[in-house]
Amino acid sequence: MRKQALSGILGVLAALFIGAIVMVAQGFNPLATYSALLQYSLFSASGFSATLTRAVPLILTGLSASIAFASGPVNLGQPGQLVMGALGATLVGLFVHLPAALLIPLCIAAALIGGAAWAGLAAILKRAFAMDEFIVTLMLNFIADYFTLWAITYPLFDPTALSPMTSPISTAAWLPDIGGMNTSVVFMVAATIICWLLMSRGRAGYEWRLTGQNSLFARIGGCKVDANYVRVMLVTGALAGLAGGLMIMGGPHRFVKGLGANYAWDGIMIAVVANNGISGTFLYGLLFSALQQGAIGMELVTAVPSEFIDVLQAVIVLVVVAGRVSLNMVFDWLAARRKLKESAE
Amino acid sequence: MNVFFGLVSAMLVGATPILLAAIGGTFTYYAGIFNIAMEGMMLVGAFCAVLGSFFLHSWFLGILCAIAGALVIAAIFVLFAVRLHTDEFLTGIALNLFAVGLTTFLLRDIFHVKGAFTDAGIQAIPAVKLPVIGNIPFLGRLLSGYNVIVYVAVVATVLCAYVIFHTRFGLRLRGAGYNAACLSSSGVSPSTIRIWSLVICAICCGLAGAYLSLGYVRLFAENMSAGRGWISLTAIILVSGNPWGIAIISLLFGFFDGLTVFLQGSAIPTQFTAMIPYVATLASLYFYSVRKRRRA
Repeated sequence: MRKQALSGILGVLAALFIGAIVMVAQGFNPLATYSALLQYSLFSASGFSATLTRAVPLILTGLSASIAFASGPVNLGQPGQLVMGALGATLVGLFVHLPAALLIPLCIAAALIGGAAWAGLAAILKRAFAMDEFIVTLMLNFIADYFTLWAITYPLFDPTALSPMTSPISTAAWLPDIGGMNTSVVFMVAATIICWLLMSRGRAGYEWRLTGQNSLFARIGGCKVDANYVRVMLVTGALAGLAGGLMIMGGPHRFVKGLGANYAWDGIMIAVVANNGISGTFLYGLLFSALQQGAIGMELVTAVPSEFIDVLQAVIVLVVVAGRVSLNMVFDWLAARRKLKESAE
Repeated sequence: MNVFFGLVSAMLVGATPILLAAIGGTFTYYAGIFNIAMEGMMLVGAFCAVLGSFFLHSWFLGILCAIAGALVIAAIFVLFAVRLHTDEFLTGIALNLFAVGLTTFLLRDIFHVKGAFTDAGIQAIPAVKLPVIGNIPFLGRLLSGYNVIVYVAVVATVLCAYVIFHTRFGLRLRGAGYNAACLSSSGVSPSTIRIWSLVICAICCGLAGAYLSLGYVRLFAENMSAGRGWISLTAIILVSGNPWGIAIISLLFGFFDGLTVFLQGSAIPTQFTAMIPYVATLASLYFYSVRKRRRA
């Protein structure tokens, strides 16, 4: 755990240093840029609450990818599951009229079901026809993208809008802001805690992680590997769907074109840097969110385009992951040397 | 008849980038690398092709720039996955996202536009008329007059089949994937072979990228590779790396891709026709699994 934290911090610092070199090469002032970035993401009340709100889809899709990768299934379908979850929440929000206390849970449930159903489709194809979920979920991403685009262009299209989008959902389903921070953050934190309890304290999480490490051993040990596979797919799909639903309910309150953007892919990257750990996913999710939020301020204050952050994120992923492997090799070498000394004495 | 020629041409247009990327991926497939960075290589290639073609006023230099750009991605892959032993899958995912971020950033930084860049100054890759065949009535129209890269893709497929199965390098390549320890014990470094396979893959993906941005259009749009790298990976997996099988599968995808263009004017919403290549991928994966199960 301490090794992980050390390699993470060192990796992020190294990546920021590489980013600084790139900025100097482009003729920008890296110190001013980074301070503007921090100013707009963490060291101002409005920036901090915006960072937390932005972290919701990042962390939820990150948790989805973390749990999937740690348990075996290579579920890369978070982008598709996110938009399908968003579509589910939008449908309920548009056509069901209930007081907020009932409608909000119903919308959340629809988002969970939307994401879980889309992941479940991949799980069915795997179980029934042995089709690899890695490719299936990827292809389903594109299909979900076009399907939701069709839904908001034709049947759900708001005739008063200029670009494809739905009408606003019922105001009873809107998640309110508290001091600039959207209440969707509460759901995200709750989901993180549940995931942590599930994965590191629950029996199901233990079986899943065991299957992820060695599926044959898990099978011999009595785990129902096939049933667990379907469960993992459904749970991770539901998490990504929840991200989409919360984005609708807390953000634009309607399904607009390009809603999912790169959030889900960023979530997958977050899971990768966090080595599929729940707490790591949470922390890296906050970091990525701070970078993305700060990017807007960075572009305002300095002339660095906000897209620079996309490059920086990928550099962080590569450096941290490679650094983890290299640091482990260094630690192993140090441990071996210590042992050698002990045996010599 | 015109519809027929139109479909054939649309099929080849759709098939070429997938075929080229898949041929490149075949080399890394046999070398035992789980390479999913084709998407990123293609995207960076497409961007660099526009960059080179626009500033150097030559489509040929544009292609060279595309290959150079893809090679940079391959170099990063080598550094992390081969040298530093980072997980290949993770490196690939990170590189694909790096490519998206980098091209969007550079699009903004160099051309000062968001979304897409197009300009009359971009030189497109020309079509060529084959010397002898081009004059034969039916065959000429069927086989001649396509983009240079289309013929490059055909040559690459033949070369790939020859190199992998009939040369010493090909044997070592397959050895690196089949049993790296055995290859190593015979005095050939598997790492070196893997690096070469990545270089070849990058060249092919660079060409595929150049075809995307300079072939039938003259623009670069954000994320314009649109999953073609993934589809080419599927093609490789479906036929277990057989170059001829890859050619057939690519043509099949090209056909569905062409169908998308053909159905654009019809009553079916474009969002559904755009799904066709991805649904076709799922369908082919289904047939592959069923066939495999029957054999087992």
